[in-house]
Amino acid sequence: MSKQLALGFTLPEKATLESYVPATNEQAVADMAACARGHGEPFIYLWGSAQTGKSHLLQAATQIADEAGRSALYIPLDQAKQFSPEIFDDLEQLNLICLDGVEQIAGDPAWEQGLFNLFNRIREQGNSLLVSAQCSPLSLPIKLPDLSSRLSWGLCYQLQPLDDQQKVTALIEDAARRGLEMSEESAGYILRHTPRDMGSLRQLLEELDQASLEAQRRLTIPFIKAFLQRNPT
Amino acid sequence: MNFWSKCTDRLENDLPQQQFNTWIRPLQSVEDAQSIRLLAPNQFVLNWVQNHYLNDITEYLQSIAGANAPSVSLEIGSRAAVQSPQESSIERIQSFKPTPAAPIRHVDEAPMPSNLNPNFVFDTFVEGKSNQLARAASIQIGENPGTAYNPLFIYGGVGLGKTHLMHAVGNMIVKTNPKARVVYVHSEGFVAQMVKALQHNTIDDFKRRFRSVNALLIDDVQFFAGKERSQEEFFHTFNALFESQQQIILSSDRFPKEVSGLEERLKSRFGWGLTVAIEPPDLETRVAILKSKADQLFGVDLPNEVAFFIGKRVRSNIRELEGALRRIIANAEFTGRAITQEFAKDALRDMLAAQDKQVTIENIQKTVAEYFKIRTSELLSAKRSRTIARPRQIAMALAKELTNHSLPEIGEAFGGRDHTTVLYATRKIVELKESDHRVEEDYANLLRTLTS
Repeated sequence: MSKQLALGFTLPEKATLESYVPATNEQAVADMAACARGHGEPFIYLWGSAQTGKSHLLQAATQIADEAGRSALYIPLDQAKQFSPEIFDDLEQLNLICLDGVEQIAGDPAWEQGLFNLFNRIREQGNSLLVSAQCSPLSLPIKLPDLSSRLSWGLCYQLQPLDDQQKVTALIEDAARRGLEMSEESAGYILRHTPRDMGSLRQLLEELDQASLEAQRRLTIPFIKAFLQRNPT
Repeated sequence: MNFWSKCTDRLENDLPQQQFNTWIRPLQSVEDAQSIRLLAPNQFVLNWVQNHYLNDITEYLQSIAGANAPSVSLEIGSRAAVQSPQESSIERIQSFKPTPAAPIRHVDEAPMPSNLNPNFVFDTFVEGKSNQLARAASIQIGENPGTAYNPLFIYGGVGLGKTHLMHAVGNMIVKTNPKARVVYVHSEGFVAQMVKALQHNTIDDFKRRFRSVNALLIDDVQFFAGKERSQEEFFHTFNALFESQQQIILSSDRFPKEVSGLEERLKSRFGWGLTVAIEPPDLETRVAILKSKADQLFGVDLPNEVAFFIGKRVRSNIRELEGALRRIIANAEFTGRAITQEFAKDALRDMLAAQDKQVTIENIQKTVAEYFKIRTSELLSAKRSRTIARPRQIAMALAKELTNHSLPEIGEAFGGRDHTTVLYATRKIVELKESDHRVEEDYANLLRTLTS
C-alpha cells in the first residue's frame, strides 16, 4: 500500500447501516435503505447539522445497493475543489448516486449546471439519487432556480442529532461490535469528560480499544480515567 | 470467486472507505482468463483510478494470481447492473487503451428514443386560471400537429408544468398516430448528443435523426444560451421541420425575446407560432394539484383541509408541493396514522420552519430593492417618487402576506411609517395587480423568489 493511500481520511469504523444509530431518524433511515435497494422513492434529500451521520448513511447506502446487485457511487462534494463537474458525466448509468454535502457546490455555476443536468438524466433513466446537505433545500444558496426546484422535489428529511442517552447506547453498541464490553457507567463517564460529538467519541473508542488490548484491561472507569489523564482530549 | 472480487475485497480492507466508495465501487468488470476490463462510468473516474489506484490493483492481482495474473485495462462504459454475468451486455463502451475511439456499440447507432413520460398526459394535468391558455393550445396541437400553431412556445417559472404539457402533447400525437416519431429532449440533452456526434464523426446521423421526426419537443431552450454551434445546428433543424410542417414545441423560463445569449434569428423564429405563458397556480389550483397528485402517485384521497393547509404554505412551484406531499404520505405509511391537518403540520415541521425562517421584513426589503435596482435605504426613506414609492408599496404588501408581523410593526420597519400607510399600500397593490400586468408580474416574481 502506498503512503498516499494510508494518509487518506478514514472513518474510525466502517460506515454501515448496522453501525448507524437511527434514534429518532428511523423513518429517514428506512426510506434511505429502500431507495438504495431500488424500492420506494428514487430521490431522497437528507439534511442536518454536522455529526448527524449524513456521510455515514450515504456511504452505507452504496454498500446496501451493492448487496442488492445495484451499481453505486459516492461523491464527497467537500472535495469538489479537487474534482471537476465532469465527474457527473454519464453517472445516470449507475443505479444509485450518492452526493454528500451539496451545499459545497451551491453558488458555483458550472457545478450547479452539472448537477441540474445529472438530475434530469437520472430521472429519465429511472435510477436513484441520494443527496445530503447541511441545510434544507429552501435554505440552500443555489442560484439556478431550475436546480433549486428540483432539489425540493423529492422526499426530504432533517436528521436529528443523538441526545446524550442515545450516544451512551451508541457507544456501548460500537464497543460490542469491536468485541469490547462497555458498561453504561463507563459510557456515561466518557460522555461527561470528553467532547460529545459522535466523531470524537468513535475516535476515542478506537484509541481505548487499542489501549485496552495493550494493557489487557477491561473498559472500567478507572482505566478510562487513567487513559484520559495520559491522553487529554 | 473471480479475480476482481478478490481484488475488491482487499481494496475495501486497505483503502479508506470513502475512497473505495467513490472510485472502486462504481467500477464494473468484464473478465476472462487472461484479462480484466474495468468499466468506469466516465472519463473523470477513469483518469482518477488510472492515476491513483491502477498500480495497486495490478500489484494485488499479481499477489493473488502470481504468474497467472490477468492483465488489467480501463475503459469507459457500463454493464446492466442487475443482470447475471451470462446475460450481461456492455453498453456504450469506448475503448481507452490502446485506441481511444473504437466503439463496440455506440449510442448514436441506437434508434432515437421518444423519451415521452406516459404519466404526463392531459388527464393528469390540472387546469387552472394560470395555465388555461397553454393547456387549450396544447390540446389543439395534439389534435392537429404541424398545422394548428407552429412552433408552440410555452414559457413560465420553474416547476409550473411546462414539461408536463409538452409530454402531454407528444403522448396525444402518438396515441392518435402510433407511427408518428415524436422526440422529447432537454436542450442540454440536444447539446450533449451533438457534442458526442461531433466527437464520433456522426454529425450527419445526428442531423438526419433530428430532422426526420414528426414532432420535436425541446425543453428549457434558455440553456442554449452562449452555445453557438448548438444554436446553429438547432436553427437548421428548426427550419427543416418547420418547412415540412412538422410540429415544434419549445419551453423556456421567459418570453422568447427576453432569452439572453440566443441568436436573434432563433428568437424571432421562436415567436412565429403561438407563445403562451404558464403562471404560478393560485391557491385553488394548488389544492386541486395536490389532490390529483396524491391520487395518481400514491392512490391516496387527500382530505381537503390538508390540501388547503399545504397549498397555503407551499406556493412557489409544483415540485415543492409534490415534495411536501411525498413527506406527508411517507410519514403516514411509516406510522400508520391517518392524514389530518395536525398530522400534516407535524410532518412538514422542518420544511415549514426553514421557510418561515427565510422570510423576514429585512429579507423582503433587500430582495425588492435588488429587483428594482434601487437601494434598501431608499425604500426606507421619505422619497415619494414613483420609482421608489411603487417598490416600497410592493415590499409592504409582501411583508403583510409573507410574515406574521402586525401592520404597525411593518410600518415601523419601513422608516417609521404609520400602519395606515401599510394598509393603503396593500390595497393599492391588490388593485394594481388587477389592472397593470407589469405589477402583477413583478409581484409574482418577487413572491416566487422569496418563497423558493
